[in-house]
Amino acid sequence: MNPTRQRLLLPLLNHATLVLFAAVLVGFGLLSPKFFTAANLANLLVQASSTAVVGVGMTFVLLTAGVDLSVGSVMFVAAAVAGKLTLAGAPLPVALLAIVAVGLVVGALNALLVVRLGVLAFIATLGTLYIGRGFGLWLTQTRAMNLPDSFLALGTAKVAGLPLPPVLAAVVVALAHVTLTRTPFGRQLYAVGASREGAKKAGLNVGRLLVAVYVLSGFCAALGGILSLAQLGAVSPTFGTNREFTAIAAAVLGGTSLFGGRGGVFPGTVLGAILIQSVENGLVILNADPYLYPLVTAAIIFLAVLLDSTRSRLQAHWGRRRIFDEPAE
Amino acid sequence: MATMTSGATGPRRVPSLIAAALRSEYLVLFLCALLFAGLAPFTPGLASTDNFLNLLGNLAPLLVVALGQTLVLIVGGIDLSVTSTIALTSVVGALVMNRDTGWLAGSPLAAPVAVVAMLGLGGLIGAGNGLAVTKLHMPPFMVTLTAMMFLSGFAIWLTQSKNVGNLPAAFTVLGSRPALALPIAASSAGLVHLLLERSLFGRWLRAVGFNARTAHVSGVPVDAVIIAAYIASGLLAAAASVLYTGRLETGSPVLGQRILLDVIGATVIGGTSLFGGKGRVLWTLFGVLFLTLLDNALNLLGLSHFTIMMVKGGVILLAALLDTARTRWLAA
Amino acid sequence: MSPLLQFESVGKSFLGVEVLKAVSFDVGPGRVVGLVGENGAGKSTLMNLLGGNLRPDAGSMRFQGASYAPRHPRDARLAGIGFVHQELNLFPDLDLAENLFLADFPTRGPLIRRWELHGRAAALLQRVGLGLPPTTPVGRLSTGERQLLEIARALSFDAQLIILDEPTTSLSVPERERLFALVRQLRAEGRSLIYISHTLGEVLALADDVVVLRDGTVVGQGTAREFDPVRLVSLMVGRELKQLFPKPQSNGQADGTPWLEVRGLGQPGVVQDISFTLRRGEVLGISGLMGSGRTELARILFGLDPHATGTVTLAGKPLTGPPKERIRHGLALLTESRRDDGLCLEASVADNVALVTLGRHARSPLRLLSIAGLREALAKVRAAVRLQPRLTDQQPVQTLSGGNQQKVVLAKWLLAEPRVLLLDEPTRGIDVGAKAEIYQLIHELADRGAGVLVISSELEELTGLCDRLLVLNRGRITGEFSRDAFDSSAILRAALPT
Repeated sequence: MNPTRQRLLLPLLNHATLVLFAAVLVGFGLLSPKFFTAANLANLLVQASSTAVVGVGMTFVLLTAGVDLSVGSVMFVAAAVAGKLTLAGAPLPVALLAIVAVGLVVGALNALLVVRLGVLAFIATLGTLYIGRGFGLWLTQTRAMNLPDSFLALGTAKVAGLPLPPVLAAVVVALAHVTLTRTPFGRQLYAVGASREGAKKAGLNVGRLLVAVYVLSGFCAALGGILSLAQLGAVSPTFGTNREFTAIAAAVLGGTSLFGGRGGVFPGTVLGAILIQSVENGLVILNADPYLYPLVTAAIIFLAVLLDSTRSRLQAHWGRRRIFDEPAE
Repeated sequence: MATMTSGATGPRRVPSLIAAALRSEYLVLFLCALLFAGLAPFTPGLASTDNFLNLLGNLAPLLVVALGQTLVLIVGGIDLSVTSTIALTSVVGALVMNRDTGWLAGSPLAAPVAVVAMLGLGGLIGAGNGLAVTKLHMPPFMVTLTAMMFLSGFAIWLTQSKNVGNLPAAFTVLGSRPALALPIAASSAGLVHLLLERSLFGRWLRAVGFNARTAHVSGVPVDAVIIAAYIASGLLAAAASVLYTGRLETGSPVLGQRILLDVIGATVIGGTSLFGGKGRVLWTLFGVLFLTLLDNALNLLGLSHFTIMMVKGGVILLAALLDTARTRWLAA
Repeated sequence: MSPLLQFESVGKSFLGVEVLKAVSFDVGPGRVVGLVGENGAGKSTLMNLLGGNLRPDAGSMRFQGASYAPRHPRDARLAGIGFVHQELNLFPDLDLAENLFLADFPTRGPLIRRWELHGRAAALLQRVGLGLPPTTPVGRLSTGERQLLEIARALSFDAQLIILDEPTTSLSVPERERLFALVRQLRAEGRSLIYISHTLGEVLALADDVVVLRDGTVVGQGTAREFDPVRLVSLMVGRELKQLFPKPQSNGQADGTPWLEVRGLGQPGVVQDISFTLRRGEVLGISGLMGSGRTELARILFGLDPHATGTVTLAGKPLTGPPKERIRHGLALLTESRRDDGLCLEASVADNVALVTLGRHARSPLRLLSIAGLREALAKVRAAVRLQPRLTDQQPVQTLSGGNQQKVVLAKWLLAEPRVLLLDEPTRGIDVGAKAEIYQLIHELADRGAGVLVISSELEELTGLCDRLLVLNRGRITGEFSRDAFDSSAILRAALPT
């Protein structure tokens, strides 16, 4: 590989998601004039908010080389609890608080299992995924629940002229971004992800950091659940299924490593979430066979992961074993 | 990886009998016995012959899938696409042989060709996963996750989310008769056991799982070994699909969707490590037996499927806890 | 003056095996204490107790006059004890400042005070002589620079006691000098250091006091002046070591047949125009600083890394393709790091030893292995490498000492009956006794007609062992010396950057 090609290829790969994103946008834009309308783009942002928020929590977990498979179940249980409460006459704020409480409780449970009891994150959260889903199905007795309009109103509410869901998502992302880049907690997470033993030896309270991460992920999942509810207005028995995968995909598309220590929420995860959503949104606009959506989404995620792994490999390849600089020619 | 937040504590005295049980390879089998003994008095029909056959019928296909997962976990990967492989091969097999619109409808060759097509497709899917992991250097989790989404979507799209029924009897007999399903599962298990414990491939598989770089330096064809493991997993998933589809007597695009937890759970409960290198057929057999027994007992107790889901999730957590506990007690 | 740190009859057992028995010694203020002992003597355990990773079963520690019982690495830090670990404990994706202050960032509210962070980091970096901007990612630092950074980290919390664990194993000569100067400077500031090393000359040159551990007991302590290398070695191994290096064989078996021929080997940025011939029965050394391209050369020869120009032949046959092809032609590589690509640590001795030659015991159709054949081969090679009989075949190699692990790697390659062995740092981190045995083994191999290429950072090792020596400098061969012309200062001159 000659140096000129390196210089061209690397930036391209470095911004793989961005490139892919642009390609998807241009593609849909060309295929349908409706895609690039303000209304649709706003709609796109509203739809992506939930994934972005859940993805932010997931990014924190992935940064520590963990994983949280329970987020979809958290969304479901939280929504089911909120639904039960509102249908029983509880006011909206109480329902919202209950949702957040569910997120924190499941997050704390995950943290207990992973951190205190030493269960692998993958297995622990797979367990809570099933427990949560079973619990939610029991709560709803596997029937869909229609929620009062107050929830849907949340989805269409405006803050300073902007729709509430993206504003809320933006606040979450901004807080998360500052946390990751500007606070001791954030920087320490990267160290834990790079080497847990090393972080411990460096004097960090690794246990406390990990607990915080799983609780945060549960919290974000619950918040994402609220945003989804605000769009759907109903809790079906499949509410939140496979959302753990979309969240992981959003984070990984955004450049966060599954092996910990590398990545971030902005622009990373946000971009990933919007990319996933725009694929679905574009397919809807094109009136594509709905059965094709998962196929296209899977292909796009695959492509993004492929680009990312190619990039890391080339970077490692070019970066290493260069023990002296060649004389300038 | 056990997180020891409080550092190592002094050696604790573990009563010798418990310690011996914990240390034993047969721990999960003991747990099965305990579970059976504990539940049999309250569970009508658990100990009946009919139920015994039913139990074996449930166990056979799950064991076959879990065998493939064991191989992939040993080599340090993971295969999340097995359930979608089951669904897709089920649908494709049914499309080949069903007696209404099938490609080979009515032909006496329909069933054998369908089985070959299913196995071939399974192997092909495995090869795709393996190639992506080795030649494209992608993380196994993401590769098989996207494969899972894609294949499941493909199966649903192919059938527009409908079941394909009316399969030839020559095929359905494979899955519905324990007398046929069991030998298929048993011989798969025997073959995988032989490969793992006694063959060159088995040793290579473990070496790659323990340390792929060491294996490469030592002249092991690392990529080929990894690809072979994924192909085996795809093939075994397809074989399980033959059993499941035969049992259901219909090709279903959502077949197996619910068993991902069971597959991975059974393998890990058995003691196969998610970090590669460690795993045995016997362990997986015990894990599968445990989960099948639990499922069966809870069903007989008349619990709803969501309760069963919760209990299973809890049991998997308990098994994982037990595993950590035994590592801590015995290794400290 | 009262001591800074005291070990008082400290004891520790694992699974009933006593690894430390009533260890007592003091570290005075402003003293450098050299801690030496073979692998397995208990040094690491002792340091783990001090660092709060383990807790003693018996006895106690006192630090700065008060009882000291750390329960966690944090406690050691709070008390003012800093560790520079052998396997450097830094985070390559974080920058210098973040690595320094990871556990106590200066903050205002929840946020990091970045200007203060960078200011304090710059001051610390200055003190250890690292003139780099605090925002440099650690990934760009050399090993020596990382070592200095670790010391800076200990200074960031004003550690009164700093433990250096094998600090010089992978340092170049100038880096080593810089480190020694820093150690002396820290001592002058009144801090104490515990210096752990297998390089006895360094210990004696640097330390004020020396403590020798053997089998978990202190077998010798006193001021450095009371010791010399010979006495240290005999204390460490508990017997007089006759001769570390086997008698030079004066190429008795070398019949001059060219075995490995390298012609014009080059890879941009790595090695340039490398040509040499390794003959039958010859032990050829490659000397050079870290980063001179030694390991890279071995990796290219073995097919692990690509090369742009040149050819390699073994016994006249061209070597190409991946390692498995080259192994078939009779090449073997003992890698620099046993942990990374030498062993499967969790696998058993038997499985590790058999790995390269498994195919010979496999029979079709299923390529089933002959267990008897494997066992026989293992028994034969165990004797050849003198693996201690008390180690079972089924023991995971991670439970073995460094020396025994290295013997397992050698056994693995011996079974392949290689014609040429490439040995990259064959004695790194292993104790004196095992070193001597490995030297002996290398000579036996050469006597039986193998060509051996030895790469090492220890010049003493190369001059003791080799028939001929090449010096590598920035990817080129800059010197060649035959045994009768070995001259340490000339070799060093060839290795140093001009």
